[in-house]
Amino acid sequence: MASSCEDDDPMIIDRPDYDPTPYSLDYPSYLPIMEIPEDNPMTEEGVSLGRMLFYDPILSADSTLSCAGCHKMEYSFTDERQFSVGIDGSVGTRQAMHIVNIGWMPDLFWDGRSQGLEAQALEPVINPIEMMDTWPNVVNKLSNHDDYPDLFWAAFGEDQITKEQVVKAIAQFERTMISGDSRYDLIVERNEGFFTDAELEGFEIFNTERGDCFHCHGGILFTDNLFHNNGLDSVFPDIGLEEVTGDPLDRGLFKTPGLRNIELTAPYMHDGRFETLEEVIDHYSEGLVYSETIDPLMKQIAQGGIQLTDQEKASLLAFLKTLTDTSFINNPAFKNPFED
Amino acid sequence: MKMKKLLGLSVLAILLITACKEDPEPGTINFNITHKVDGQTMELNNMIYMSPAGHPFDVKRLKYYLSNFSLHNTNGTTFDTEVIHYCEEGIDETKSFYIDRIPSGTYDKLSFVYGLDEDTNVDGGLENTLTNINMEWPIPGDQGYHYMKFEGTYDSLSTGVILNYNLHTGATQGNQNFVEITVDLPSDITIDKNTWEVDMVMDMMEWLQNPNVYDFAEFGQAIMMNQTAQEVLKANGVDVWSVEKVVQE
Ligand code: HEC
Ligand code: HEC
Repeated sequence: MASSCEDDDPMIIDRPDYDPTPYSLDYPSYLPIMEIPEDNPMTEEGVSLGRMLFYDPILSADSTLSCAGCHKMEYSFTDERQFSVGIDGSVGTRQAMHIVNIGWMPDLFWDGRSQGLEAQALEPVINPIEMMDTWPNVVNKLSNHDDYPDLFWAAFGEDQITKEQVVKAIAQFERTMISGDSRYDLIVERNEGFFTDAELEGFEIFNTERGDCFHCHGGILFTDNLFHNNGLDSVFPDIGLEEVTGDPLDRGLFKTPGLRNIELTAPYMHDGRFETLEEVIDHYSEGLVYSETIDPLMKQIAQGGIQLTDQEKASLLAFLKTLTDTSFINNPAFKNPFED
Repeated sequence: MKMKKLLGLSVLAILLITACKEDPEPGTINFNITHKVDGQTMELNNMIYMSPAGHPFDVKRLKYYLSNFSLHNTNGTTFDTEVIHYCEEGIDETKSFYIDRIPSGTYDKLSFVYGLDEDTNVDGGLENTLTNINMEWPIPGDQGYHYMKFEGTYDSLSTGVILNYNLHTGATQGNQNFVEITVDLPSDITIDKNTWEVDMVMDMMEWLQNPNVYDFAEFGQAIMMNQTAQEVLKANGVDVWSVEKVVQE
């Protein structure tokens, strides 16, 4: 009988009232207003649960790989390997993406196939080259776990754990992964300190049409959140945005990555082809390749790029390094909660 | 060195497209924008046009701000608004906007600024949204936002090589460079707590001619700090707009 089942279930009886504490997301006012989806308000309980789920290999089929297995804190939550390795040893064809200020990004993945962090987090769990699990299995494992049922209750106040709650919690945690304390922020936004001469020259190259990085990597997030072909290839083994839109005009377009913490996130580009930032700068300086969909903002394509001198390259590199935020990669709130 | 003063400025942030979320109050004009090239409706990417300087070209992106709308009453007064409108070809919601609470009367002209005036065109002058951030003009020493991004490719003919053009307008080296535009309405609009539709047209070819022929090859791809190029565009921009039709709903 149904009633006797309920009586037998100690968890329902023991649960305290559902009374989550709203999470106050604090960030400097020079960062834009973050829009939080109405159906996933942030709570202390949700963020803390999301952090556990992000670090817990329980989300993978053989319980060996967590999100953090490919998105590692020390590298601003990306993978130092060119291609991450899934639980059965299979490798993909795209570099993992760094996770920083991700709450401001409407379209996720290199080809923008997911809209919103909740939708994004559904994918890695069941991706055959990543965590290779199934959602019913994950939900089952979590429901039979010693701690998770209470934690989900505290965060969402529903009797059953669902995959929607799992991704909501992860998304809440990801929205807290904010960086606004780099040297760039101190100098430009808070008027504390000065650039070195080289950094200042790099700043000018970046923010004028000399280097013209800002048209795509501009603004305080260092990305326009749009898709471009930045002249890497003439034929495309990976067609990028076209795979999602089916439009040949989108061939070889990829999401503009934000450049915060870029010093920490090697290798670079969607296929991790460049091992260093020096190689990236050489690409924009003299390595551009023409193709029909190359972005109209790319300059001097016929010459291979913007033709920076060695000194200009060094300055641009020095500037990019001012975007490193060590407080972000050491923030106790983002650390593995199982290692505390 | 550019130092942004965003702290505290949010109070000044101007309501942009958000204004459209509420229902308009009586006395409304709905504006619908169409972009044309030499009289034909503009198509991004797929159409090749011929520039007055003799270069076949296409258009890949078009984004800009319009601001300071005023309606001119036939009695000589004006109804001034603080509406700022961001428009982007390919994003339909940005191709219309409205002005409401227009006082009853008869109007025969519309004037506005192409771009932003000196009060708004400061760092942090617009609300800190992703759209506005993408229009920032971060050139050291200069201020504010791009007024227009008009981008595409052209065939330089002589070489057969396809080159890019970026017609970016904005303030540089102390020159504001916004364009003040006045257009006649094709017939008078009589507002009396009613609603009108106004079809506005911007012909992109006019940016490239009249009074000056703008040659992509002459100015090159980088014109943000080139005041000569900005002056040429500013002069050409005066006649790019027209109003094709006004209808009472
Ligand atoms: C096997 C390695 C691996 C695992 C495990 C993994 N990811 Fe990823 N992640 C990637 C790769 C590779 C990409 C880029 C894939 C693409 O664009 O097709 C990516 C992309 C992302 C992005 C998009 C970032 C952006 O800027 O668009 C987010 C967010 C993300 N992952 C979060 C997660 C979360 C949350 C989990 C756990 C549920 C997870 N990832 C598990 C490798 C992994
Ligand atoms: C037309 C837009 C555009 C311009 C201009 C541009 N970039 Fe990029 N950038 C991109 C895109 C798109 C990618 C990702 C491309 C890919 O992986 O296929 C990228 C990737 C990068 C990366 C690698 C990021 C990562 O996480 O792997 C760095 C670093 C970078 N750009 C720096 C610069 C610098 C420095 C400049 C100026 C010299 C510049 N970019 C100009 C669009 C642009």
